[in-house]
Amino acid sequence: MQKSIEISHLTKKFTFPVKNKKAGWVKNLLSPEKREVVAVSDISFSVGAGERVAFIGPNGAGKSTTIKMLTGILFPTSGTMNVLGYDPTKERKKLAYQIGTVFGQRSQLLPNLPLTDSLEFFGVMYDLTDTQIKKRVAELTELFSLGEFIDQPVRKLSLGQRMRAEVAASLIHKPKLILLDEPTIGLDVVAKKALRDLLLTINKEEKTTIFLTSHDVGDIESLCERTIIVNRGTVIKDLPTADLAKSFAFEKYIDLIPTDKFLSFAELPAGIRYLNREPNKITIAVNTDKTSTKDALKAMLDLYDIEDIDVYNADTETVIRHIYERTASRADHN
Amino acid sequence: MKELRLALTTIKIRIKDQLHYPGRFFTDIVVFATRCGILLVLYWYVFKLRGGTISGTTFQAVAWSMFFYFTFMTFRLRDISREMMMDVQTGQIETLMNKPISYLSYKAWGRIGTGILPMLTVGALGATALTLTVGAPPLMRSAAFFPTLALVFIGSCSLTIAVYTIVGLLSFWIEDINPVFWMVDKAVMMLGGSYLPIALFPSLMYKIAVFSPFGASQFLTHTAYAKWLYEWPMLIGIQAAWIVLLGTTMLIMYKYARKTVCVNGG
Repeated sequence: MQKSIEISHLTKKFTFPVKNKKAGWVKNLLSPEKREVVAVSDISFSVGAGERVAFIGPNGAGKSTTIKMLTGILFPTSGTMNVLGYDPTKERKKLAYQIGTVFGQRSQLLPNLPLTDSLEFFGVMYDLTDTQIKKRVAELTELFSLGEFIDQPVRKLSLGQRMRAEVAASLIHKPKLILLDEPTIGLDVVAKKALRDLLLTINKEEKTTIFLTSHDVGDIESLCERTIIVNRGTVIKDLPTADLAKSFAFEKYIDLIPTDKFLSFAELPAGIRYLNREPNKITIAVNTDKTSTKDALKAMLDLYDIEDIDVYNADTETVIRHIYERTASRADHN
Repeated sequence: MKELRLALTTIKIRIKDQLHYPGRFFTDIVVFATRCGILLVLYWYVFKLRGGTISGTTFQAVAWSMFFYFTFMTFRLRDISREMMMDVQTGQIETLMNKPISYLSYKAWGRIGTGILPMLTVGALGATALTLTVGAPPLMRSAAFFPTLALVFIGSCSLTIAVYTIVGLLSFWIEDINPVFWMVDKAVMMLGGSYLPIALFPSLMYKIAVFSPFGASQFLTHTAYAKWLYEWPMLIGIQAAWIVLLGTTMLIMYKYARKTVCVNGG
């Protein structure tokens, strides 16, 4: 498979001056102490053409830094990158013709002017002819349903409309790869779904590779076929999104509904713990490394008079939370 | 060709953006009329007290010189520094750095697009008012005047952009460039003849005004004096030398500045 992104041993360190309270202001001004933060630490992965990849991690994990290095905004401290055959550090402008970017927390549109002006302006930036711009704006207007607000000043658009406009603007030049940094942040459920559907459409129809960061599990589950999880600047998992829950299903969850009411709560055998203890419902977590679901069920049936049982796996959000917490506690122990 | 099209589109977009705020024009005209008008009334009175000329300079020449200064200031090319600082401080720079454009060119053309309409409006109104009140200096009838005025105007724009872009680029390292901006801006104002017309400068200060980039960026103010007709080759030469020197410095600084970009959330 042709690669859209290939990065190898990529590291980014930020250094910043720190005020030394013991030193005088002259020393702090002329020779300040420096603190180093490793935002991305020796990460390597590749993304194939046409893939839809979620790049997720907790705050400060290094997701945005990586995206910004891939677009040529930030320079890596070490390591190599190849994005669509270009080195972003040396061929930023050439690469820019091939990629689109959306930063959920920042707008690239012209706030005071109608959306049409932004789209036309971007068309000129990407060296499209006037005819090409008109044609592409018409295509995007139809695809993204921009018609109802395309003549309104951008600052008067709702957040959902603006995000659709941001994505449309980033696609004006038919990029081969689109990098999205939290594109659904702040959107309501309807706007989120609309945006995800649009991204799936452009991936299908224009074969655009999608690489996105998000804290929204919905983005990951409904949009991305592969998930790369980063924490503290390193890749901790790279797997198909469908396997995410399976790979980390070291816990099963069981809801127990009593025949009458749970009056007391007994001690549980090893490998089983309460998550919720109420007279009308108990929820337990079973650590399948220590005990089987079958044995756990037997133990619960011996302990309680139960009318209904529901056994289920952790949802993606819980799995992701577990992964973050595991890596965080491992790092703290180290 | 692409660069030219992008430059013209950037200017067009910024003019359009300006037209959304007609109040700004009114403000620019009022500020111009107030600042320039008060100074001209003061100098008119001083010249009147001194019998109409000071050191061989007439009020007519001084009035046009100050008019050129204030009209050029209405262009607001100096605002490029603060725009760049805002881009760096807010992180908005990342939305420009991932486009196939030169950040510096985009900012420069953007400033020109923002300032050109107020400058042309103020220039036309002011020139009409001055022609009707004090008349045009005789040197304006010389064949060399308008071509050299155009040349020095382009030079002044280029040098002003270079000077203030260098100040703006410092924000990649020190973030708050306001103290540096203030010093540079005051140097430009004083050596450009904002407070005291350059014809009345003491000898040493005049030399500093001529040979420093701050004064050289305001050589438009020299065009109102009779000696412009024989001084212009030297002054435009000095301006060109500064443009090359500071332009190169600006490009080298930008090369290193790009590597220091640190955007929040990354």
